Amino acid sequence: MHRYRAGRQSGTNYTMKGADMIKRTALRVIIMMCVLVYAGIAVGQDNVQKYFNDAACKVKATSDPLQKREILSDKLQDMSKALDAVQSSRLVSNADRAGLDRLKASLQEKQDELAGANGYARVSDDQLNAFSDYVVQEMEQADRTITIGVVTALLIVIIIILIA
Amino acid sequence: MKSLLHRFFASATHGQRVPMAGAVCVALAAFLCSCGSIRPSRTATPLGDEGGFPPRYSIVCIIHGDGGYLYHDARGEAHRADEVALAKVKTVAEQNAQAEVFIFHERRRKHLLFLFPVRDGTFYYYRYGRLIAEESYWRDQGQARFDPEMELYDRFRAEGPSDPTRLFLYFGHEIPETGKAGYDASYKSRVFRVDDLADGLRRVTRDSTKIDLVVLSACFSGTPRTIAALAPYARYVIASPDNLHLSYFDLRPLERLDIGLREEDVSAFAYAFAHHAFDRLAEDTQTAVTVVVYDVDRVEGFLRSVDRSYDHALTILAGRNPASIEHCDCADDPAYALPGMNEGTTVLYRPSRFGRLQNKENHSGWECWRLLE
Repeated sequence: MHRYRAGRQSGTNYTMKGADMIKRTALRVIIMMCVLVYAGIAVGQDNVQKYFNDAACKVKATSDPLQKREILSDKLQDMSKALDAVQSSRLVSNADRAGLDRLKASLQEKQDELAGANGYARVSDDQLNAFSDYVVQEMEQADRTITIGVVTALLIVIIIILIA
Repeated sequence: MKSLLHRFFASATHGQRVPMAGAVCVALAAFLCSCGSIRPSRTATPLGDEGGFPPRYSIVCIIHGDGGYLYHDARGEAHRADEVALAKVKTVAEQNAQAEVFIFHERRRKHLLFLFPVRDGTFYYYRYGRLIAEESYWRDQGQARFDPEMELYDRFRAEGPSDPTRLFLYFGHEIPETGKAGYDASYKSRVFRVDDLADGLRRVTRDSTKIDLVVLSACFSGTPRTIAALAPYARYVIASPDNLHLSYFDLRPLERLDIGLREEDVSAFAYAFAHHAFDRLAEDTQTAVTVVVYDVDRVEGFLRSVDRSYDHALTILAGRNPASIEHCDCADDPAYALPGMNEGTTVLYRPSRFGRLQNKENHSGWECWRLLE
């Protein structure tokens, strides 16, 4: 009888502990989700700009024009690839798709100018540092004139991290 | 609710009860702090104790910081444009011993413990170079966009027989010309347009004399619609019709208004300010730099002549996808390229150092819209 009662008590304790565990886990998940959403919004909006700023810093850190050109070209190409990948996602709205098109066109123009293609005069070696600043400033301005949603911005960042 | 709380606490073990109760207390305190009716103000000096003469200059400054305002300088250092602007305006306020300065910093709405909203505006009031009051406020109170700011302005403004030289500065992103939501990251459905800004100016002027100088540190603010909206309340406007780098206009000429405006010649001061801002921007920026001084009385003829065409264009473009339209120099559109379009404007322009428009030699000083091909 005692053993039965003890068994029932331990069963009740076990159920209560289980309920506590679920509550605590649920609370942790909610807090984590809040933190991730907050961090995600900030990351999505800022990291595209930081990406090009990092490229500009690397360009200025090297004295070899060939390397400068390669860094810029790689960064522009990686971003274009990321935009292509994001555009094919179902999560991206039609309005964002149009914005991404404009962003891609803008990146293509910069690649053309760097290489001297499509009617552009090739950026001279001594202008590469200034050109890297131009890319940063253009992208910061594009961020305000070309509207893309938070989800799209987050996708771009995720894909850029995967590609790089 | 009571039984729910009871069950929640009852289910917790004794060891958990103490920290849980602590957490609830903190949350409750946070909630009361964020929703309380007590104004979290910090008044440094009581009003009216600082001197016998009324301020000679009155500066109202609105800094929008509720959006993406990150930029990098040429050294690669990251800055928040609104915070940099706030620091500069505070310096202006501290350096002007004969001015009163109202600073409104509109910040992104944040939540304490992810739940309780905290005040998203900060107001600073300086008089004679000293900080008199600092107060946080809710930005979403009232019908009109700038109701909270104007309520504070009316409460603190110096009353006196003399009419001070008045300046109004706005820092932010491009101000929409038509009703467009999404300007504020914290209030996605809130609409902000240039008419709201004009209404703020109207309330600063109290329907009497115009503001002497309005400085718009925002992209694409030199449009016929924007200048026309502000024209009833401003004598001179300084704005950028093209993109404006987030480092904004340099404010150093404002730091000693007793010297810069000694002759009380606002026109000369506006040109000096614009030249200085242009030189600083041109130094550090690779993209196009355009700074224009609009002598409002003299541009009104041009504004009247293009008013109908421009409004018609805005109506047509309103229904389009934003990605299918873009800004352009009004001079590129025959509907606006009229003989009087340069009347009353002083245009300082340097083309972009790279890109398709690097050989564009001049800018009309007016920005319009066009459909992308």
